[in-house]
Amino acid sequence: MKKNILLFVFLITFNVFSQDNIPNVDLKTMEGKTISFHEVTDQNNVVIISLWATWCVPCIKELDAISDVYEEWQEETGVELIAVSVDDSRTVKRVKSLINGKGWDYQILLDTNNDLKRALGASTVPLTIVVKDNKIVLRHSGYSPGSEDELYEKIKELTL
Amino acid sequence: MKKLLLIASILYSTLTFAQDTGYFFGGFESNTQWLLNDEGLNFDAPKDQLRSNNYFRLDYNLGKFTAGVQYESYLPSALLGYSPKFDGNNDIGTYYLNFKHETIDITAGYFYQQFGNGLILRSWEDRQLGINNALKGIRVIFTPTDYLDLTGIYGKTRNGFDVSEGITQGIDANLNISEALKIDRIDLDLGVSYVGRYQNNGTNDTIPSTVNAYGGRLNFVAGDFYGGIEAIIKDPDVIANEGQLSSNKLYDGTAMQIDLGYAKKGLGINATFRRLENFSFYADRLAEGNIYNQELIGYTPALTKQQDYMLTNIYVYNAQPRLIIETYDQRAGEVGTQIDLYYKFKKGTLLGGKYGTKIAGNFSYWAGLDAEYHIENRWYKAEFIGKGPRLFRDVSVEVKKKINKKWSGVATFQNVIVDKGIVYGGPLSVEEDIKASIAVLEGTYKIKGSKSVRFVAQHLWAEKDRKNWVAGVFEYNFNSNFALYLADNWNYGDTDIHYYSAGGSYSKGRTRFAMNYGRQRGGLICIGGVCRFVPENTGLTANLTVNF
Repeated sequence: MKKNILLFVFLITFNVFSQDNIPNVDLKTMEGKTISFHEVTDQNNVVIISLWATWCVPCIKELDAISDVYEEWQEETGVELIAVSVDDSRTVKRVKSLINGKGWDYQILLDTNNDLKRALGASTVPLTIVVKDNKIVLRHSGYSPGSEDELYEKIKELTL
Repeated sequence: MKKLLLIASILYSTLTFAQDTGYFFGGFESNTQWLLNDEGLNFDAPKDQLRSNNYFRLDYNLGKFTAGVQYESYLPSALLGYSPKFDGNNDIGTYYLNFKHETIDITAGYFYQQFGNGLILRSWEDRQLGINNALKGIRVIFTPTDYLDLTGIYGKTRNGFDVSEGITQGIDANLNISEALKIDRIDLDLGVSYVGRYQNNGTNDTIPSTVNAYGGRLNFVAGDFYGGIEAIIKDPDVIANEGQLSSNKLYDGTAMQIDLGYAKKGLGINATFRRLENFSFYADRLAEGNIYNQELIGYTPALTKQQDYMLTNIYVYNAQPRLIIETYDQRAGEVGTQIDLYYKFKKGTLLGGKYGTKIAGNFSYWAGLDAEYHIENRWYKAEFIGKGPRLFRDVSVEVKKKINKKWSGVATFQNVIVDKGIVYGGPLSVEEDIKASIAVLEGTYKIKGSKSVRFVAQHLWAEKDRKNWVAGVFEYNFNSNFALYLADNWNYGDTDIHYYSAGGSYSKGRTRFAMNYGRQRGGLICIGGVCRFVPENTGLTANLTVNF
């Protein structure tokens, strides 16, 4: 128990010095090309990164909900949503048919051996982060209906 | 403990001068349970009632270098169902130093790597399953052009807070043919892998000390069609069961997987065929088939749908790649297929309604290999496909619909047939199959803003095993950060036990905290197609994750 408390102490200390920088991990595009996470976030001013999986029900609910209003979001703020799938080889073959079957317009990247998920310390999905100027400015884990509206309010603040 | 303090103080002291050039990142995760006696379940809490798995990870990046350490503590004991080698231990689990510059990427220490689809090599971490088979050694990734990459690995597999006896070495190459030859109409990717395990054979000269596996794969994308094939052969090796060699006889192994798909906006179909014959590869030949999934070299997940609800997760499939020739159990591998279909009825159409309707269907069928066995001679011969014993057959359909601005619903129906040996462990195709049908209805009501309520009603019909079940979940989201839930699985058809649970979660920014109290149904808990048996238990569970 004492050792666990010591861990907490270290944790609080490092929390003070955290810089919200994004880890530089390699991901794959749906065409099989390798792209680094830094390259992805560098492309846009404000970008939403959503970690999801074909087996994660709330992830799909969140991406479905945003998909309904994505066009408006893009017109108004120019924000880009990049959906990073943490599906491993068991379920990754389902990604392409699922995103087409649902009619999503997002850029999809694959994190098949969970390198990004590990680097971001995501113990569960969905994990949604907003990156602006290469820094993580927002981080939220989990999804409940209506939280996409709150997310959009924050995006508007960052872009307009 | 002293090791940790030393490393931490070095990192801490470099903090002030590092502030301008480098940065830290990492996180803390704690999963704790307090087990309680429960007469209704016939569950007696073990002597160690408090169990906790804790992980503290710290990484530091400075220019082209990144270093990291992960400290783990399983005090006073590891959570129920985890390998007992973790109980009461705490130590540095993994550490690494990485250098990345343009075409070269070198890692020394513990690393995670996958070749192809993971059948021949995959080292990964899954805390829920207690799997961490990181390789401790060296990895070099060389990317001379943007259509060719080469990876070389050498190391021992992590085993608890120790490493395996066997040494794994491997090379993997990926070539994007279309990019290299400037072909436009089709996207073609070629890959080859080699993985070898060296393990001292002691005084036994009849068994090999080095076992090699060779794999090749080809993937294509042509317009709306896509697919691929991967095949692996493994040198003859012994088979082991429960920590002992079955005999000195050697058997080779093969794996083959074919995928095919078609996707265009509004419709997606994909199908997979896989055949595994004597395909288990462990970093220690005696670790074959261990129930804690320790020391794996390759990843052989069950290719079935990860079902979403409590009652649809009772009868699940666990992949069967092993060869066993004993009087009480004969099996040589598995062969089967899985098909998925996703379709969206557009808005305004008859079935689409005002907002559109989404349907998803899944079919999977898995059977043991059609083989003849001669137990005394420890000989077997298997057909390529044949008509082996059916182990699992699953058909499910899900319809998702947004009804109006406030209401949305999901209706799911599943029919599953599973071999009793898969559900409870033990020999396969000896006892009769268990057949079950499950129906689920889910509704979500948006109250205002991000305040919503969700309820789920489920029912399972089965004539054998534990017969019928009924289950329900009620979840209330106060806002996007805080939610509470109540759930119950009632086995009214047989044991009359209520597996109730209640809990909540709070998540804001970098922190997530969840707590729940109740009964855990015993059985297979499968994550990513890899399963572990969880014994039935009652207690209070708390999870905390903080990232920085």
